[in-house]
Amino acid sequence: MRRALLALLLLIAIPAHAQDLVSGISQDIIQITSSYTGTNIVVFGAIENATSGQSRDIVVVVRGPDEPMTVRRRDRIAGVWVNSDAARFEGLPAYYYLASTEPIARIASREALARYGIGLQALKPSAIGSHHDPEPFRQAAIRYHTRVGLYAESPGSIDFLSETLFRTRVPVPAGVTRGQYNVEVYLFRDGEVVSAQSTPLFVDATGLERRLYNLAHNAPLSYGILCVLMAMLLGWISSVLFRRQE
Amino acid sequence: MEIYLPVAEMSVNWLVIIALGTGVGFLSGMFGVGGGFLMTPLLVFAGIPSTVAVATTLSHVTASSMSGALAQWRKRAIDFAMAGVMLVGGMAGTLFGVWLFALMRRQGQMDLIVGLTYVIMLGSIGTIMLRESLAALKAYHGGAAASRRPVNRGWIQSLPFKMRFRQSRLYISVLPPIGIGFCVGALSAIMGIGGGFIIVPAMIYLLRMPTKVVMGTSLVQIIAVTALTTVLQATSNFAVDIVLAGLLVSGGVVGAQLGVRAGSKLRGEQLRLLLALLVLAVGAGLAWQLVARPADLYSLAEGLP
Repeated sequence: MRRALLALLLLIAIPAHAQDLVSGISQDIIQITSSYTGTNIVVFGAIENATSGQSRDIVVVVRGPDEPMTVRRRDRIAGVWVNSDAARFEGLPAYYYLASTEPIARIASREALARYGIGLQALKPSAIGSHHDPEPFRQAAIRYHTRVGLYAESPGSIDFLSETLFRTRVPVPAGVTRGQYNVEVYLFRDGEVVSAQSTPLFVDATGLERRLYNLAHNAPLSYGILCVLMAMLLGWISSVLFRRQE
Repeated sequence: MEIYLPVAEMSVNWLVIIALGTGVGFLSGMFGVGGGFLMTPLLVFAGIPSTVAVATTLSHVTASSMSGALAQWRKRAIDFAMAGVMLVGGMAGTLFGVWLFALMRRQGQMDLIVGLTYVIMLGSIGTIMLRESLAALKAYHGGAAASRRPVNRGWIQSLPFKMRFRQSRLYISVLPPIGIGFCVGALSAIMGIGGGFIIVPAMIYLLRMPTKVVMGTSLVQIIAVTALTTVLQATSNFAVDIVLAGLLVSGGVVGAQLGVRAGSKLRGEQLRLLLALLVLAVGAGLAWQLVARPADLYSLAEGLP
């Protein structure tokens, strides 16, 4: 494990910015199988040339592929709650997880976070079509994703193994979307990013799940007929079994 | 115990889903109904997106109807001519229903339409059944024979395009069966039901078909309509999840057989009374969801319709 870790460190870690930060992830492909119920990946790294006493704030962001979304608001019409107003967004990730050594508000100013695009509140999707006030809809989208566990901020979840070595466990829940994810590691000093690194992570279905999904979307007619035949076959089998028992 | 649903893109506890299939199958076997009207709301309560729930429940109905239809076929109690005529309307209704379904989904009014249709259908059917079964029970205890009000068939007799249905010993216009088929096809697509609880009373009271061919004929009609709707939902809405369908059907066919045995121990009026109460309870639960203030006024859908 340690050797693999070291190898990974050496292979993946290509510091983007000075020789301050190296990082890696425990696996770069997550495969969704029939028994997939969510998993964890470990993001680890080291701060190099660290002089002790200097602040060393680490922020790890895992961001899923962007997905267009429609947020609707219900209003009461004639006693019934009806979807009445809607805002459409592009540029909201399907998954967003942030781990940090401290609450991010203490690591950097709001302006700096917005500039770097770090934190749930820095998610600024573009509203498609003109909506007079998309802000409550944007908040609702963040609230929804947080409720279902696809968005999270987890301050204080980065462990330091030594002065310079750190790691954190990132949960990848069952409801994640397929696609390319990005693992971003930031090193902050005095409220500014001094080093950053980005590593891709792929989430994909494998085996039967992948084949069924592809069939349902690429050959929907055969897929539909397959569903009907399966239902009829099971109905017929049960009828035969039932008759035997009588 | 978790299994990943490839189309719904979520994982569910497969034991819960099989138990759900078995439970609904049990009730459908006991009461002689397809059970779609129970399955769809229960799947939605279990967290399955309503589009997937509606489209996938149909497979469950196909399977349980298949099992029932084969039994009726062995007894030669199916009027294929009638089923064929109804199916003409059924296909048109299904196409219309799937189109409406896709339109509502784009407008974001899917949940509302499904909810309202359910509340109206379950409320009216439940009330009718409750009154009828209470009257029958009262008559039974009073010792008097239940009087069945004759339905005026005059306007149906006067319609054109008459056709002879040998098995049903009827000579009537093809328009009413086509109309009934259309309504059931449309409801099947929107509600994810087979529509047995509409076809059976319509055949008995409106068309005056002999009771012994009603069950088999309606089942044939239901198989055809649900099969067609499944294919259409799969091609136009990508909403059928085969893994979910397989789990539901496996539980459902077992439950149905247990239900038939349990049902044979109860009297008809009591069964109908219980079913009426069940239908009304589901209807009331759905009505509550429509009028109660939602926990979050905002809801989210993937994609840009």
